[in-house]
Amino acid sequence: MSLHEATTPAFKANAKAALGNANLQSALRGSRGNFVLKRAKAREALPEFDGLRDRGRDLKDHVLANLDLYLERYEAAVTASGGVVHWAETAEDARRIVLEICRKAGAKAVNKGKTMISEECGINDMLAANGITPVETDLGEYIIQLRGEIPSHIIAPAVHVTVGEVEAAFRKAHTHLPADRNLSELDLLQKEARGILRSKYFEAEVGITGANVLIAETGQSVIVTNEGNGDLSQSLPKVHIVMASLEKLVPTPEDASTVLRLLARSATGQEMSVYTTFSRGPRRPEDPDGPEEYHVVLLDNGRSNMLGTDFQDMLRCIRCGACMNHCPVYQAVGGHAYGWVYPGPMGAVLTPSLIGVEKGGQLPNASTFCGRCEAVCPMHIPLPKMMRNWREREFEKKLTPSTVRAGLGVWGWFAQRPALYRLAARLGNGVLRGIGGRRGRIASLPFAAGWTGQRDLPAPTGRTFMDQWKARR
Amino acid sequence: MEAWIAARGGGPLPRQGSSHGPQRLVQFMQKLEAAAATVGRVSSLSELPKAVAHELRRRNLPAEVRMGADPTFSGLDWGTLDATRGVGRLVEPATLSRAEFGLAETGTLALASGPDNPVTLTFLGETHFVMLRASDVCGGFEDFWAAWRERGLDPRTLNLVTGPSRSADIGQVLQLGAHGPVALHVFILTE
Repeated sequence: MSLHEATTPAFKANAKAALGNANLQSALRGSRGNFVLKRAKAREALPEFDGLRDRGRDLKDHVLANLDLYLERYEAAVTASGGVVHWAETAEDARRIVLEICRKAGAKAVNKGKTMISEECGINDMLAANGITPVETDLGEYIIQLRGEIPSHIIAPAVHVTVGEVEAAFRKAHTHLPADRNLSELDLLQKEARGILRSKYFEAEVGITGANVLIAETGQSVIVTNEGNGDLSQSLPKVHIVMASLEKLVPTPEDASTVLRLLARSATGQEMSVYTTFSRGPRRPEDPDGPEEYHVVLLDNGRSNMLGTDFQDMLRCIRCGACMNHCPVYQAVGGHAYGWVYPGPMGAVLTPSLIGVEKGGQLPNASTFCGRCEAVCPMHIPLPKMMRNWREREFEKKLTPSTVRAGLGVWGWFAQRPALYRLAARLGNGVLRGIGGRRGRIASLPFAAGWTGQRDLPAPTGRTFMDQWKARR
Repeated sequence: MEAWIAARGGGPLPRQGSSHGPQRLVQFMQKLEAAAATVGRVSSLSELPKAVAHELRRRNLPAEVRMGADPTFSGLDWGTLDATRGVGRLVEPATLSRAEFGLAETGTLALASGPDNPVTLTFLGETHFVMLRASDVCGGFEDFWAAWRERGLDPRTLNLVTGPSRSADIGQVLQLGAHGPVALHVFILTE
């Protein structure tokens, strides 16, 4: 999906549709709790985890405070290794640069390791429009490419797809295989995809991967995968393009290890992902394999505008996905409802920064402010605080719907008149208690169908807080 | 910036990354197995071909293995094993590489790409065999980076490998053998 197709303004409608989508709900039920449990176990097994989080925050803050220096240092190191850094200020620039490299390489097919920056820039649509076939090689990305979808999760892109839907997609796409073949087991499905993609690795002229980390000192790009697809995508074609955003920089390999110690544990609960690959430049003259060209497309796309603002801390994000795995809203509606590339709490903060609060302002409202995202964030990013900042900006820009503004106006009027406010609270308290009756629960209430449609509202059980406070002082 | 880089600082050193003595090798092997790799010891280099042949038979694989130009392997008598040299090909039942280092912290192998150990062998072998000297097992990332620099290595890729490839993208259930090896077996040379 490209920038222009963002459906973020329709978040409410998207969420409603997602809640009513039985297949999606079944897929979400299957994954719910899984990531949470695994992360908790991994965190438990590493007593130094919180100290590493502090270090992770500090090292990213240090880089962001000196970003210009680090960017120059990184470019010099890549150039010294025989690679080329391309600066892409916008997604449009990134598309143009990637197309130029592909054309020069005479590319007919481009293999892709998982890269969210490519999603952000709409690289697949651009390649296809120019007669070049993009082939997603991450198993999850491959599945959703067959289904004509975008990722619904930054590390588990096909988390919304049921096993039955995977089988259907394979039968529809792999028509050269016998129609009566057995695909009843998960490993048979995986084997089929492995076989098909294995030959594609040898056909592509260009491989595009993302980067989890860029190391300024050495000019290395680092990718982390469990499947090995990112490595086949970069080792077999003639040209390797790394697509990364500038906040991926860390100073040294030691700093990269700090990020790695946090990343896999927070993402999947692994101590280490299976493959962590540090790539530096093109193949050496004596090398029998590896790409002949190495390009890094370094994307800004609005990130440097976040420096020095309320949203700078968001640039510490290492894209582990822990915030969405622990988010009650994400777990209920899935990633597609968010309507653009980045879902969940990190998406709710990042999306308005990148595509504007006018388009993305709905997302920061999709929060219960339970705070679990911040509690599990390995980089200590104050996500709820930043969502509140966005809500304020949305309100200031008068983008909030009139009903909400009117409601806030009424509340504000009362809140500025404490005596009246307490009287109203006492009245409301009594009325709700009356409706709740002996059950103490309210099954339906005018203007509150959004709550009572799914569950009862607990009725107040005692006097108002202020009354109790006064009595106990 | 220069001061930060020169300091080579890190976060707190995890206890699991600071094992030493005989315990280090034990932890390394345990972590390898926890990552779904298998591991065996070889007491001298000349025994390696026999050990590889044995593992191939045990796995019901053809008596052939693909490897690079690593001098560690080229002096060995591979006997009846069809030991071919070169990069990884489309169909590659078994490959053999030498790892430069191991990390006991997580059961991770560190391989350097190049003519001695082409990177494609690490990813295209259905079964990937890796030889590693016991003396090259580090405690964790900190002493690994120091040892890596000391050896003066500058390959196109440094590949950290922790177990065979896997994916949970179908049905959120982990399956081994995604795009890389289905099995990873490590020979630890203890001579």
